[in-house]
Amino acid sequence: MTDLAPSTAAQAPAPRRTIRGYAARLVPLLPGLALIAFWQWASGRLVREVYVSKPTAVAARLYELFATGEIVPHLWTTAQELVLGYAIGVAGGVAAGYALGRSPRLARVFEPYVMAFYGVPKIALAPLFIIWFGIGPGSKIALSAIMVFFLVFYNVYTGVRAVDREIVDLTLVMGANQRQLTRHVYLPAAAPFVMLGMRLAIPYSVIGVIVGEFTSATQGLGLFIHVASSTYDPAGVFAGIAILLAFVLGAGFLAARLERRLLRWRTLSGVGPSEI
Amino acid sequence: MTDAVLTFADIRQTFPAPGDGAPTRVLDGIDFAVGRGEFVAVIGPSGCGKSTLLQMAAGLLAPTGGEVRHRGRRIAGVNRAVGFVPQQAKLFPWKTLAENVELPLLLRGIGPAERRDRVGAALRAVGLDGFEGHYPGQLSGGMQKRGSIARTLIYEPDVILMDEPFGALDAQTRMVMQDDLQALSRAAGATIVFITHDITEAVVLADRVVVLSQRPSRVLADVAIDLPRPRDVFEPFRNPGFDAAYDAVWSRFRTQIGLPSRGPRVREPAP
Repeated sequence: MTDLAPSTAAQAPAPRRTIRGYAARLVPLLPGLALIAFWQWASGRLVREVYVSKPTAVAARLYELFATGEIVPHLWTTAQELVLGYAIGVAGGVAAGYALGRSPRLARVFEPYVMAFYGVPKIALAPLFIIWFGIGPGSKIALSAIMVFFLVFYNVYTGVRAVDREIVDLTLVMGANQRQLTRHVYLPAAAPFVMLGMRLAIPYSVIGVIVGEFTSATQGLGLFIHVASSTYDPAGVFAGIAILLAFVLGAGFLAARLERRLLRWRTLSGVGPSEI
Repeated sequence: MTDAVLTFADIRQTFPAPGDGAPTRVLDGIDFAVGRGEFVAVIGPSGCGKSTLLQMAAGLLAPTGGEVRHRGRRIAGVNRAVGFVPQQAKLFPWKTLAENVELPLLLRGIGPAERRDRVGAALRAVGLDGFEGHYPGQLSGGMQKRGSIARTLIYEPDVILMDEPFGALDAQTRMVMQDDLQALSRAAGATIVFITHDITEAVVLADRVVVLSQRPSRVLADVAIDLPRPRDVFEPFRNPGFDAAYDAVWSRFRTQIGLPSRGPRVREPAP
């Protein structure tokens, strides 16, 4: 029976743990290493070190910051702001996106407003937020949350609206009530879009917090970078940026792992959100 | 017919046209009934509203005029006593095959032990045992279709509505599926309404073929197919009496697909 042959393309073999396999994984690091080497070489030769610092100086500064504990309070403040801003933004985005996606009536009323606010450059709101929420963490959380919100909202809204009408009808005929329809159809169908929004929102939450801290703050990584740049401390600026970079990469890695786990059916069958 | 399970009574359907254009009349007084255990094929030119009739039987669409009755009761709202097999398999991509087939039982509040037994039996019936843990994306088109049929058969719906279920399959898979459907439906004594645009498929599978006209469509003919069962779907022309049955359907259908008429017969004027 010809139709009993499972499609082999979907069952790609697991990456082999061979030396060649590891080598292939290291290849993407090469351009980064080359850039760092060039930076090290060019600093003091092509460009004055006071403008661009150099990798060894940045590494030394990083070590010093952690060894003396100077960076810890900044790190702690920024981390709190990031986590809260991100969590509030994601929660709001998922809830609003889901509600508007499910209810065409709500969407008709609110979609134009959301779209209008979507176009507002959120960074321009930073000074206002400082006035409204103070120079403490509140204003940074708000800025980060609003940037995350729109991204997540838009993805979830699109995802819920893209749910196959025929699958919804089928599930109703099979006997589903509204609650079961949400659990078995809408949530799993929207999950890839929720995950995509959450992953895309990570760097935006960082931008929100750092811009907020740049504008006005008493503590935080953004303030630290700001102070370093205004006191001719390029090594300090790059050290701060390196920490942010590490954070974004780490969070992105965790999000990708979570996504692979939750959306196992997609990795196995090779179906992207666009094909749902 | 007194023991009709499903009755279409003077069904009319008009769809609003985009903009200010005249609304499209799709169905113009469709009347036919489906008896218990009967396999009725509905055939008609494309765009004649065949699928619309199934949506009405499932309670997903209310007709503009007339009514669909299921066991004498007018259908208003989703009809959970029927099963629907769509054109595409439409398995849930986020559920494994076994979870897909299990879903109707889960939704109907059937306990886990019984669910497990019935899922096993349903998958065996369509020849998919051993693929329980596969996701739909890992299955071939034919296997997905089998899964879709198993998902419908498992809750033993009163009527099974099939909307060109084999239209998207390759020719060989299609014949195998037709053969399997014939066996499964006979074993289950199922009542089936089967939409198709393939006359051979209609004649070889059905007890009756309802021929619809072009839009706005009416029932052009209701042809009983009295071929003995089981029928050979692989070589349909070898079934005794197949030619005559095919001709009875085709002679009515050919007037609807814009072929120049042969001999003195004049094309029927549009109503």
